[in-house]
Amino acid sequence: MDYSNLRRQAASMKKGLFDQGLLDEQFRQVEDLQDEASPNFVEEVVAVFFKDSCRLISNLEQALEKYPRDFNRWDAYMQQLKGSCSSIGASRMKNECMLFRDNCGKGNVEGCMGCLQKLKREHAILRQKLESYFQLLRQAGPAGAATRPVM
Amino acid sequence: MASPVKVLLVEDTRVDALVLLAMLRRFHCEIIIANNGKEAVDLFLEGKKFDFVLCDNEMPIMTGPEAVEKIRAMGETDVKIIGISSNNNVREVFMTAGVDVFIPKPLKIDVLGAMIQEVINKKNNAMF
Repeated sequence: MDYSNLRRQAASMKKGLFDQGLLDEQFRQVEDLQDEASPNFVEEVVAVFFKDSCRLISNLEQALEKYPRDFNRWDAYMQQLKGSCSSIGASRMKNECMLFRDNCGKGNVEGCMGCLQKLKREHAILRQKLESYFQLLRQAGPAGAATRPVM
Repeated sequence: MASPVKVLLVEDTRVDALVLLAMLRRFHCEIIIANNGKEAVDLFLEGKKFDFVLCDNEMPIMTGPEAVEKIRAMGETDVKIIGISSNNNVREVFMTAGVDVFIPKPLKIDVLGAMIQEVINKKNNAMF
């Protein structure tokens, strides 16, 4: 297996995530925290992010139904999610969180509902792309490993 | 040589806690985590001492600013307390509560490093 080719593919995939605006500079900050002591740090943080964001989105959906027009409550949930998105560099998701909060500020229920649907789409897209990226990284092996001969 | 910087990280969001922990470990800090403001206050009530507190805003049971106010009211005026939040609108609330500085999230490692170095310098000066 050509590991250097796999690493190139992974690098290209990552570049695509930045070019499409799915990730921002904060993701690089998280990557910089990965080292020999924590070799899977980025993947672990991303896994926690998706677990927590699924829960937050679910809580928000329930709140939209159970507490109609409770914009303060809706905003509080979204603030939490926005914070997590900022922490890992999930840029497009963060933008949808901000738009949702704007709509809360304007008392615009339809606007909030629309933003939530977009947010869920962005969440799904980012999750799928990052899962593919990490799968490729795992196949490629550690960056410092010697290139193995093509089979 | 000064002892490691003792840090209290007050943060309920797991992602944020993981990232901040990893940053603090880069600076070889001794770290204790509190999941909300009340846990932070309880640690001080138990007599725990810290050089540095990183405190989030919105948390269950007790918010960051509420905790900071109580910590300062205990006479803990020496400990450096940094308020952190992705919501810039809470800067004033934190400052009124008694933080030394408010930093918006996400925190950059070089900014954190500079703050920790300040604390180390202060500890070293105190030794002489």
